[in-house]
This record gives sequence, C-alpha cells and structure tokens, in this order.
Amino acid sequence: MAANATTNPSQLLPLELVDKCIGSRIHIVMKSDKEIVGTLLGFDDFVNMVLEDVTEFEITPEGRRITKLDQILLNGNNITMV
Amino acid sequence: MSLRKQTPSDFLKQIIGRPVVVKLNSGVDYRGVLACLDGYMNIALEQTEEYVNGQLKNKYGDAFIRGNNGKSSSFSLEDC
Repeated sequence: MAANATTNPSQLLPLELVDKCIGSRIHIVMKSDKEIVGTLLGFDDFVNMVLEDVTEFEITPEGRRITKLDQILLNGNNITMV
Repeated sequence: MSLRKQTPSDFLKQIIGRPVVVKLNSGVDYRGVLACLDGYMNIALEQTEEYVNGQLKNKYGDAFIRGNNGKSSSFSLEDC
C-alpha cells in the first residue's frame, strides 16, 4: 500500500467548508445538550464563531431558549459539530 | 443586516464598551458592560449582574471572568 502521499488538489479542507458557509444559516451542535442556529458571520482558526440572529435550543427538556438577535461569539471549545 | 466577513477578533474590538451577556458553561449568565478582554477570552465587566434562574448577586465595580469557562459571549444591546 502506498503511503499517504496523494496530492489531491480538489481536496476540501474543513476550514474551507466552514468558510463556504459564511452568510448562510448554520446549525451547531455543542458538547452539552444544546444546539445553536444562526447566520455565520465569521470564524477563526480555533473555530470560535461569530453568529447573528441566534436561537438556542436545549435538547433534553425540549424547549426553545431565548432568540438572541445582534451577534454572539461562540467559544469553539464546546462545539462538537457544525 | 451587515454581512461583512467578520472574524472573532474584529467582533471583540467592536463590542468593548457595550453592554453584553456572558454565558458560561455552567449555565450562569453575567450581564454587564464589557471593560476589556484578551485572546484567551478572559473578560472584565463593569456593573455586573449574575443570573442563574432568577437574579442572584449584584456586583458593582469590576468582575473578572476566566476564559476557560466561557461558552459564549452574547452581545446584545440592552434596551436603549
């Protein structure tokens, strides 16, 4: 088996994928039972995310939390999936 | 709605001096005026109020929140 030496120019990097989502509504799953839906304004190398028009969902008690307009900075430490 | 590409560091420069809500991992909210913060998300707030379910403590003066606790910093304009 050849070593992982494939130079594939069409390879999609994860941060590129996130970059493509700027301006779109995205759904973020946290490590805890919480999900965040909002419009992606920007992010950085640590995947801290700046979101707008945000709704926060608690999964277990099955209730929608506050709808926070304006902007939030979401700490990338607790993000599981986007 | 301004949809300029905005990185977290730009966002942070923009909100210094505004009223913010800092939400911690533990579920506690802190509302205050953002005095300053650093690259580790350590935050200094002024005139902070601590909300658990209802309002608990009132802190006047400076409050320092260590960066590793922060889950999100919510920047919302308190009723103008």
